[in-house]
Amino acid sequence: MAEFEQADGVTRDELVQRVEMMERLIAEGRQTTVRFGWVFLLWGLIDLVGVGWGELQPDFRWVWPITISAGFVLQFIILALRRKGGYRCGGSMRGRSVAAVWRMMGLTVLLYVLAAIVQHKAGQISYIAAILMFVGMAHAISAMILRWLAQGIVAGVWLAGGVATFFVPRSYVLGVFIAEMCLGMVLFGLYAMWLERRNGAQGE
Amino acid sequence: MADFERQDGTTRDELVQRIALMEKMIAEGRQSTARYGWMFVLWGLTYFAAIAWTVYLPYTEWAWPACIAACSVAFGVVRTRHRAGGTIDNLRRHSLDAVWQVIGGGIILYLIAVIVSGHGKEPDYLAAVLFFNGLANGVSARILRWWPQGVAAAIWWGCGTAMLFFTTRTEELALFVTATFCGMILFGVYAMWLERHAAAGMVQAHA
Repeated sequence: MAEFEQADGVTRDELVQRVEMMERLIAEGRQTTVRFGWVFLLWGLIDLVGVGWGELQPDFRWVWPITISAGFVLQFIILALRRKGGYRCGGSMRGRSVAAVWRMMGLTVLLYVLAAIVQHKAGQISYIAAILMFVGMAHAISAMILRWLAQGIVAGVWLAGGVATFFVPRSYVLGVFIAEMCLGMVLFGLYAMWLERRNGAQGE
Repeated sequence: MADFERQDGTTRDELVQRIALMEKMIAEGRQSTARYGWMFVLWGLTYFAAIAWTVYLPYTEWAWPACIAACSVAFGVVRTRHRAGGTIDNLRRHSLDAVWQVIGGGIILYLIAVIVSGHGKEPDYLAAVLFFNGLANGVSARILRWWPQGVAAAIWWGCGTAMLFFTTRTEELALFVTATFCGMILFGVYAMWLERHAAAGMVQAHA
């Protein structure tokens, strides 16, 4: 053992620890997404509230800006509370890549939605389809990075909805949007939260 | 050394090799994007060709499908040759491949749906295409922590946003050409220059 340490000053234990740490970081990616199941659920519900409010007050222009702002405030508060409770985000490379995908998707959709609302173009088919495609792409990239079939199916649902928007009658577009929110956001969020709870129970 | 090997059958050399491999994989992500600079140039020129066709040639409805199909074939051929010459395969590379494959496929799917459903006359779908490209560059920049690609993403997003405000055909064309030239061709040329620069550095180091 002494001879081993003399070679370059690194002990065997240090090498084993570094290997274990790297392997653990690589394995943590999917678990990170599962921990963020509540974000999918939150945004699914917020979007459904926005749709409902928009139907009740079709002439009120501030429905979506208020709804989206409220969503960000709620997300920020819940994140802060979780961090206060000792929760920490996984720092693996896959986890960071997935986080990068969702952050950039959020930024892109925010810029796109704001510009379209200001210009009163939020009702166009190509606009609604693009939003569904943005979310579908983010799910598909995450699914490929994490090699996760369940998220791949959700991505397929979103992308199919984006394409279907171009072909269904105009009166059905809202139905497609609501179905996407229920299946691809709320249901997937609940599934991820169930996985998190199950993993937590197994850990105990 | 024999004592070391007896503990769990892993030799010191094996551990050192595994660590060296993992550290190399982590460091190679950005370099591999520089290696693919030609892709940005190829797709940028394809966008230009499609735009030029829609402005100057007949059968404009075939401009995008024909140009994207031709580019996809050229892309496949060149990429196969590149792969035969050896590629870098690591977690970041895998993530970046996922980003570009999904968004590239998504753009094609979106354009096909737009054209087949007859919504091609709605000019705003082009703004969405610019945002898709911005998303791909933004995610890559974030994964690689590489600000030049972040600038490319900002150009795509900026032109996409502007396209929702400037709505005449000439303005939209100008914005699309600007985004393609700066965010794709110029960035691709820069990435190719970096690749050449890195290769020249390696040659000097080995001389």
